[in-house]
Amino acid sequence: MENRTVNNIKLGAFVLGGLLFLVVLLYMIGANRSLFGATYLLKARFENVQGLVAGNNVRFSGIQAGTVKNITILNDTVIEISMLIDKKMLMIIRNNALVSIGTDGLVGNKVVNIVPSKVSAPLAKEAEILQAKRAVSPDEMLQTLYTTNNDIAVIAANLKTTVQRINSSSALWALLSDPSIPKDLKISVAHIRDATGKAGNIVDNLDLMVEDVKVGKGLLGKLMRDESLAKNLEAAVVKINRVVEQADSLAGEFSGLVTDIRLDATKGKGTLHTLLRDSLMAASLTNSLENIQQGTDGFNQNMEAIKHSFLLRGYYKKLKKQQQKNEKKQE
Amino acid sequence: MYKLPYKMIASYLPSLNIFLKEAGEIARFTGRFFTQWFKPRYEIAELLRQCFVIGYRSLPLVGLTAFILGLVLTIQLRPSMEDYGVASQLPAIVGIAIIREIGPVIVALIFAGKIGSSIGAELGSMKVTEQIDAMEVSGTNPFKYLVVTRVLAATLMLPVLVLLGDAVSLYGSWLGVNIRGNTSFYLFWTQVFNSITFSDVLPAFIKSYFFGFAVGVVGCYKGFNSNKGTEGVGRSANSAVVVSSVMIFLIDLLAVQVTDVLGLN
Amino acid sequence: MPKNFSLNSNNDKAESSETVLSIEHLYKSFGANKVLVDFNLDLVRGENVVVLGKSGSGKSVLIKCIISLLNPDSGSIRMFGSNIPDIKNDVLDKIRAKVGFLFQSNALYDSMTVRENLEFPLRRHWISVTQRQVNAMVQEALEEVGLAHTIDSMPAELSGGMRKRIALARTLILKPEIILYDEPTTGLDPITAKEIINLMIEIRERYTTTSLIISHDMNCVRMASSRVVMLIDGSCYASGSFDQLANNADPKVKQFFE
Repeated sequence: MENRTVNNIKLGAFVLGGLLFLVVLLYMIGANRSLFGATYLLKARFENVQGLVAGNNVRFSGIQAGTVKNITILNDTVIEISMLIDKKMLMIIRNNALVSIGTDGLVGNKVVNIVPSKVSAPLAKEAEILQAKRAVSPDEMLQTLYTTNNDIAVIAANLKTTVQRINSSSALWALLSDPSIPKDLKISVAHIRDATGKAGNIVDNLDLMVEDVKVGKGLLGKLMRDESLAKNLEAAVVKINRVVEQADSLAGEFSGLVTDIRLDATKGKGTLHTLLRDSLMAASLTNSLENIQQGTDGFNQNMEAIKHSFLLRGYYKKLKKQQQKNEKKQE
Repeated sequence: MYKLPYKMIASYLPSLNIFLKEAGEIARFTGRFFTQWFKPRYEIAELLRQCFVIGYRSLPLVGLTAFILGLVLTIQLRPSMEDYGVASQLPAIVGIAIIREIGPVIVALIFAGKIGSSIGAELGSMKVTEQIDAMEVSGTNPFKYLVVTRVLAATLMLPVLVLLGDAVSLYGSWLGVNIRGNTSFYLFWTQVFNSITFSDVLPAFIKSYFFGFAVGVVGCYKGFNSNKGTEGVGRSANSAVVVSSVMIFLIDLLAVQVTDVLGLN
Repeated sequence: MPKNFSLNSNNDKAESSETVLSIEHLYKSFGANKVLVDFNLDLVRGENVVVLGKSGSGKSVLIKCIISLLNPDSGSIRMFGSNIPDIKNDVLDKIRAKVGFLFQSNALYDSMTVRENLEFPLRRHWISVTQRQVNAMVQEALEEVGLAHTIDSMPAELSGGMRKRIALARTLILKPEIILYDEPTTGLDPITAKEIINLMIEIRERYTTTSLIISHDMNCVRMASSRVVMLIDGSCYASGSFDQLANNADPKVKQFFE
């Protein structure tokens, strides 16, 4: 008899255990479907609901906020969806929030996303119709992806020919693989910088001189009170200034280039990325070299012109002498 | 012109005849159950005893198989899920699979193996050793005392076993997920609960009543109509398992059609 | 021995010639196999009638018809004022409570202990008895057959003879007026068989029950019978005391006594 009671207790526990699981299961599903607890209704109208069904989740800024209660067709172009939203959201969702239909993951269920607007507005009330935003459907996404794909195919083809061209150009490879280039470039940069420094001095001096001439100071000034001369001189100064500026930017460009080359030398080559970089670099390298050539040529011409200008001949001689003196002193 | 193989068909006729006769008898037996189960006198004590034997005593077996099932299913599914890049959906998929289909059907099959055979053998041996006659002489309707209680117990207990089996199975699945991944228990359950709906749980729960009923009725029918002799007892136990297992699948097939028609899928 | 549960309410008015069971024109067949053909038998109170016949001659069918485990094709079985084949279940149960039936295979419930086996018919027939009364009656019935110590055993743990005695105790616990014995000594060794037969005689004397015994065991027939009925070809072929039949010249009767 006692045994029977014990057995019945065990049976009761067994059945209760099973029912408990059922109840938990149903409750959790119900809670997820917003069947229990306080909810309120919000609506939105769409042209296309993209397969949304009653029971799909509604998210507010990505947070589970409720479920779709039902979907009704108002007319041939307007479909209204009603959403049961957790009462907790009553104080959060505003009536200017945007509603869109999206997908949970790439292939998951449809979800309704409510996105808040940055502009402040009154809170959304019961059964209020929120503004709908046309969402990008996966179909459209795939369409775009298709176009992009085609583009990539073209680019890849071009890239391929470019790379082949680079590969077949032995001169470029020689240039790229020559370790002396960075060194040479560096020296060039140092020279240019030197030259720039000197040019700066010259310009300063010239400025002074021009001022002196203008006010008619000294013998030289008195000798040449000629307006045209002064004008010429001014033009020369402007030109020199420009050259100096050019040289400055050149120097910057160069030092960048050198670091690039050094990086490439240390890193491995062969990936698409490096090749891409290489071809770009090759282009910029040629460019730079040309620029340098031009710049240096122009500079040299200007310098020559200045040196040969009879007005400044004396000045330069003096300068030379002083330099020689300084060198002697230093020695 | 195509000629029907009349001879071959004719050779199957006797077994078809036996099948139809058996189906008819099971139907009549079921009808007898329905005419008797709600009439007094109610064998409550015996019903509780049978519930204990049929339900509670089956729990270890059902729990073990369900646990292994959940674990193995998860481990087996993982590579395919990873191929599609949805390994994170493993709890959701396994949860739906277990709750909708695998839990009820596998537990019912285990139940048919354990309970169908034991009912068939028990009633068969009671029949052979005249215990059923003795009961009748003792003023007891053996159909009510033996059949109604067992059929009711099987019907009521299988859904409970299925529920507990589902729970254990999902626990096994959680362990399976964590063999090659790291999912917290809470996250696992959240994912499972998020993926399942009422239309997953309720049809599965309801059909498990039918599974239990089928196992009970077939086991009792086979035992109650056992032939004389110990060989008859063995045969009724064996055919109880076979027939009730087939019935489970037939009911499952029917259930999926019904839920489909009702739009519960 | 407590007397408060005696069902034999009509003991006092009992007469030696009172017919308690009367079978008339009983027919029973299974398909083409005619088992009982116009069988007639009257049982008088206190008699021990043995139905003697070959295996398969329909002896078991006869007593199963009496207790309504089988329905006869036609004929009447009158017992306690009712025709058994006609009555409804609730009346039948009341009559069954007054008729004991000892099964050939004992039919002890394997899933129950000896105590539960004995309690079963009590609880089934008399729903209103208290647990104490039930305990007392179980104890008494077990003492009757000398097996009080086996009360908490399972039937499978007992020997064949013990099981037969437990089955007898289960039959006796309702204090039946008529006891039907289906081959009571089959499968028992001669000594145990003799013990069972002695128990049967003792019971008849103590409770003045009427017994219908089915047997082909001549020892049993000789010891237990006050009258012997020969069942041959489905009907009552010969009837009389053991000695009368033993000296009968009819070859069909004689073959049993050789």
